[in-house]
Amino acid sequence: MSVDVRGWRIALIADALLNAGPRVSLPDVIAILEASSYGVLQLPPAGGAHGLLLAVTADQVAEYAHHGYAVVAIGLKGKVESGLHWRRLTSLLRQRNSALPPRHVIAPKIDVEKEACRLAAFLVSYDVPEDEKRRWRV
Amino acid sequence: MAKPRKVALLANCLLNQNAKVCEGARYPGVASPVVEALRKRGYELQQLPCPELAFAGVRRWWAVYEQYDTPAYRNHCRQLAKAVAPLIESFIRRGDEVILIGLDGSPSSGVRFTSSQPQWGGRPNRPQDDWDIVPQRGIWIEELELELARRGLPKIPATGWALDMGRFDEAGSRHDLEEFLESREKAAAPRGGKLRGGKAAT
Repeated sequence: MSVDVRGWRIALIADALLNAGPRVSLPDVIAILEASSYGVLQLPPAGGAHGLLLAVTADQVAEYAHHGYAVVAIGLKGKVESGLHWRRLTSLLRQRNSALPPRHVIAPKIDVEKEACRLAAFLVSYDVPEDEKRRWRV
Repeated sequence: MAKPRKVALLANCLLNQNAKVCEGARYPGVASPVVEALRKRGYELQQLPCPELAFAGVRRWWAVYEQYDTPAYRNHCRQLAKAVAPLIESFIRRGDEVILIGLDGSPSSGVRFTSSQPQWGGRPNRPQDDWDIVPQRGIWIEELELELARRGLPKIPATGWALDMGRFDEAGSRHDLEEFLESREKAAAPRGGKLRGGKAAT
């Protein structure tokens, strides 16, 4: 194998943000996540029955959170529960004894540059406590 | 009726390298060249679940096809396939152009190639590169394709990003991916509400 360069940070992302398309007035969330060394866990699109898929996502979030990874959630204002399936996710994470990740919501159609800076600042500011890092990130 | 889209199903770790086995992450988070190539051509992204992470955890050892080829793991992959298949089915039935980008060399997400070594087992102290690359699907992709076939869906054109082939050649992988995407553009037939699939380009 080789040198492992994982970032130890993961963002749960509303589908509407990941697949926003070029014409929507939103920051380029993927580019900002890349620059901040975050990986992506995509949530299912709003609507439709995605119970099983959300349960799988909750399993992954719990697994990461229990092993020293920083997990955040990024939603989009104006979507139901910001596109984060928050109520269902809350219940699923509670069942797995896992805390809810800190949440950041992007507002569309306002100053895109300002929203991008706000998101970048949020991503940089969050990490797990130092003792957790020492325990797991070896 | 909504306009058909181009949708790329992605192996989980192509958007999240934290899902890789220890010592396997080649990017901090997103596998940028893959995402860049797909977005440039107008593909929407649909991340698949990571079967290995959900089964063996984030601190698992690396393994080959034969080690994961167990009834329990196949059953786990089938459950994951059932979780994501309705979403994929909705894409295909609305006429979207759907492709799959897996992870070549992976025992689970391999598309063109998987890793094989029937002798592996026990303490993971084998010498480096002591496995073979064989032209075969990984177990997760096999089970996902079976579930989609059970639903009467056409085979999804697929290729793999060669991250788990032993010595990773990013430039070569990029070339392969571009060639595959180019072939999909050439193959794109007029949309007419029919199921869009066909013979896998693998």
